[in-house]
Amino acid sequence: MYRYRQLKMLFLYLLLPFVLTGCWSSKEIEDLGMYTGMAIDIGQPAPVEKEFEMKGAEYSKHNKVMTTIQIVPMKTVRTKDKSNTGTNKPYLNVSGSGDSILEIFRQFSVRLDQPIIGHHLKVIVISSKLLRKQTIEQVTDFVLRDNDIRPSTKVYISQGEAKETLESSERNEVPSFHIAGMYRNQMRTSKVLDSVTLSKLDALMKTKKSFVLQNLVSGGGEIEFSGAGIIKGSSGHWIGNLNQEDAECLAWMTNNGKAGTIKAYDWDNQPLAYEIKSMKSKITPFVNEGKISFKVNLAVEGRLIETWNKNNIPSTNYYAEKTSQIVEEKLTQMIQRLMKKLQSTYKVDVAGFGQRLAIVYPSVWKQVKEDWDETFSRSEVNFTYDIKLTDFGSFTEKE
Amino acid sequence: MSFLSSVVVHIPSWSVFCQALIALLVPILVTRMYKKLHSFVGNGRNLETNKTIQSSVSTPEVMPFSGDYQTDLQAIYSRIGSNSDLHARELPIKKLNARGTLFCVDGMQNERVLNMRIMEFLMFEATDGLLAGTVKSEELLPFNNLSKVSDIDIFNRSVLFGHAGLLIEGIPHGLLIEFPNGTNRSITEPVSEALIRGPRIGFSEVLSENTSLLRRQGFSDQLEMKSYRVGTRLQKDLVLAYMKDIVNPDLLQEVQTRVSNLNADFLADSGYIEQLIEDNYLSPFQQVQNTERPDRVINALLEGRIAILLDGTPFALIVPVTFSMLLQTPEDYYERWIPSSLLRMLRFGAAFVALMGPALYISLIAFHPGLIPTELALSIIETRQGVPFPALIEVLILEVSIEILREAGIRLPKPIGPAMGIVGGLIIGDAAVQAGIVSPFLVIVVAVTAISSFSIPTYSAGVTLRILRFIGMIFAAFLGMFGTILFFLLLCSHLTKLKSFGVPYLTPASPFRATDWKDLFFRAPLSLMKRRPAMLKTRNNKRK
Repeated sequence: MYRYRQLKMLFLYLLLPFVLTGCWSSKEIEDLGMYTGMAIDIGQPAPVEKEFEMKGAEYSKHNKVMTTIQIVPMKTVRTKDKSNTGTNKPYLNVSGSGDSILEIFRQFSVRLDQPIIGHHLKVIVISSKLLRKQTIEQVTDFVLRDNDIRPSTKVYISQGEAKETLESSERNEVPSFHIAGMYRNQMRTSKVLDSVTLSKLDALMKTKKSFVLQNLVSGGGEIEFSGAGIIKGSSGHWIGNLNQEDAECLAWMTNNGKAGTIKAYDWDNQPLAYEIKSMKSKITPFVNEGKISFKVNLAVEGRLIETWNKNNIPSTNYYAEKTSQIVEEKLTQMIQRLMKKLQSTYKVDVAGFGQRLAIVYPSVWKQVKEDWDETFSRSEVNFTYDIKLTDFGSFTEKE
Repeated sequence: MSFLSSVVVHIPSWSVFCQALIALLVPILVTRMYKKLHSFVGNGRNLETNKTIQSSVSTPEVMPFSGDYQTDLQAIYSRIGSNSDLHARELPIKKLNARGTLFCVDGMQNERVLNMRIMEFLMFEATDGLLAGTVKSEELLPFNNLSKVSDIDIFNRSVLFGHAGLLIEGIPHGLLIEFPNGTNRSITEPVSEALIRGPRIGFSEVLSENTSLLRRQGFSDQLEMKSYRVGTRLQKDLVLAYMKDIVNPDLLQEVQTRVSNLNADFLADSGYIEQLIEDNYLSPFQQVQNTERPDRVINALLEGRIAILLDGTPFALIVPVTFSMLLQTPEDYYERWIPSSLLRMLRFGAAFVALMGPALYISLIAFHPGLIPTELALSIIETRQGVPFPALIEVLILEVSIEILREAGIRLPKPIGPAMGIVGGLIIGDAAVQAGIVSPFLVIVVAVTAISSFSIPTYSAGVTLRILRFIGMIFAAFLGMFGTILFFLLLCSHLTKLKSFGVPYLTPASPFRATDWKDLFFRAPLSLMKRRPAMLKTRNNKRK
């Protein structure tokens, strides 16, 4: 008798765990909405919201910012007919405006049927117009604090409305993946800058340094990386854009890019393209009686890859020198244009001159770092070029 | 004062203490539960109680031969005479002028030998000397397998077991002259442990053949075999085999005690013995290894282990066993060390997948979508959108049907086995996906898991992992990745505590024995393995 009572107790013990737990925090993956792209725009009620508000569905806010998220994949109703499914886009863009990004997100929760999760956020696009009004620190505060969003998320600036970059005319493509994948072309051209991830952005913002973010331009349902937007470190605002060639030169100068082409026109005014194989830059700071100056040496190696001029035999040393000279002239021109923009138009150092100074002359840096952008714009920068033409492609041998 | 207050700040609140108390109580309660459960069933097993039973069975009446031919004959007839397959041939022994009776059971003796040689000898050639001296009398009989039995009951049992028994007037005991020679299966390749390279010999059901297979592995005077009679009602022969100069005497003593304490009326297979002598019957892990391969047994003996062979089964038992042995095959030593090591590590990986595959799937799908690469997450979402069940139910549906299929596969007649496999695996799997019951991704997970569990060389270890997989799945469904890790830790702590005949189950890993790692995850070149495993504490540990 006693034995059976014990046995009964045992089974009761065994049942205990089932009372205690019920699938804690279990969320099936298909019931969640993954957002892979996020666009932050200047505040204005989204079209849907306007309609809601007309019907009285509103809450108190000042519309400082509009956030758009891209949810993938769209729910597809299973149909046997495969040809029918193509009409739907594979993503869903949802916009909302308000004063806090988290509040906007929670507002999405009263509109959507799936809770949104940020683990898979790939890109954040911030409109340059918004960054004129708000500082980048204010705008990205939430994404940096949130612990779902990965620090590897890439940040871009858009010239027009950020939310337009998250739309695509391509039917079966998710724009945020497209943008996230575009940096792979960095091996082909230096116009694609090193992507700035959230963790990098955090560091840049905290040190109050000026920096650039890749600029996105959208048009006709397509997007393009077009140069870079400059964020001034002291204010945190967007102050202007560098065009594509400037961005390319910037990458070369900061040793972050070693690809791309230099196109020039030769003595007969025919196009000539020089493909860069390697690009090394060295910035050397000098301090002379309190006057700061820099010397930049660019060592370029490359090949002649295309010439439309058929009057010459492109395989002599003489020809090689002549070509190098033309390339050098072109490069000088491009670099000078960039330096003019950095030193006189925008008065920012985004090319890491300050960092070199801090390494070589720390004591001098301590004195000037408060107002470095101003000091930089007054400093003298000299360039030396070292251009090599290694070969002429698989056309003819150099003698 | 400020120091004190800064200390007070760091004292946690009462709720933390409560949690700590609960965390402390859980293992204590579990241990008590375990102990209770263990003692609950443990009483009926093989401890002191059975000794009295055994003695009460075997002692009741010793019935010696009386010496009077007629009385003895009567006694034998009265006891076993009603068996229809018993043949008793009464024969006059001419030269002695005496009578004798030859007993044998149908189908157990070679009739021709009986007729031609034995009867001929007895009837016409046996001489006076047979009866002259009582001690030397047997020596005059020209039989190799001859033994003298003085107890009628034992004589009867032996005759019914298949011996040819002889009762001669004037000799006050029974004579057993021929071993049973029933129909036997020929020696074939072991079915459960097939190898590509290595001997193709497996044990058969006859004990004497099995022991001879062991003896034939090599010349040695140190291979000792000790025979026991086990079973209280239907007795059987059991043999302990070990290398006399290697085996640890304490281990041998322990095994002998456990074997002689076996309490069961009949032992149909060595599996009975395994269950009756193992240390912990509540553990899902086997603590005795079974094998059909003589080469495996002899290798184990040379490492200092002990083999238990039972009559009537091709499965020999090896004790003690460690976890790593279950994932090794004899082939690891027959092939060169590099491929062997690679395959062995592969098997460890497969064992992990077989155990944790579905649990990891559940915890990733239902708890940690952020840990899956984005593209994979997308395709999983797309495929799972039509699935109406939570991940656990979905996995259970497919896992259970795979297990049913596997169970059915054992019983299917050979010609339709593969066809059923295709129908079950491919068609049902595909149809389940089409019907939207499970997602195609899960089919991959389940298939990989099932294949992984087949790659484990010991069948019973594979079954263990199959059972534990389901527990892991439930853990994962409750607590996600945390639960999965918790399950793994619980398993590890159980394994570290488990012992097989005094040898820790996880031994080269825990307790750590660096020298034995040569033969754990990878197999060192043979020239480096000059010593026997340290864990067995053998008498001489140098292999020479």
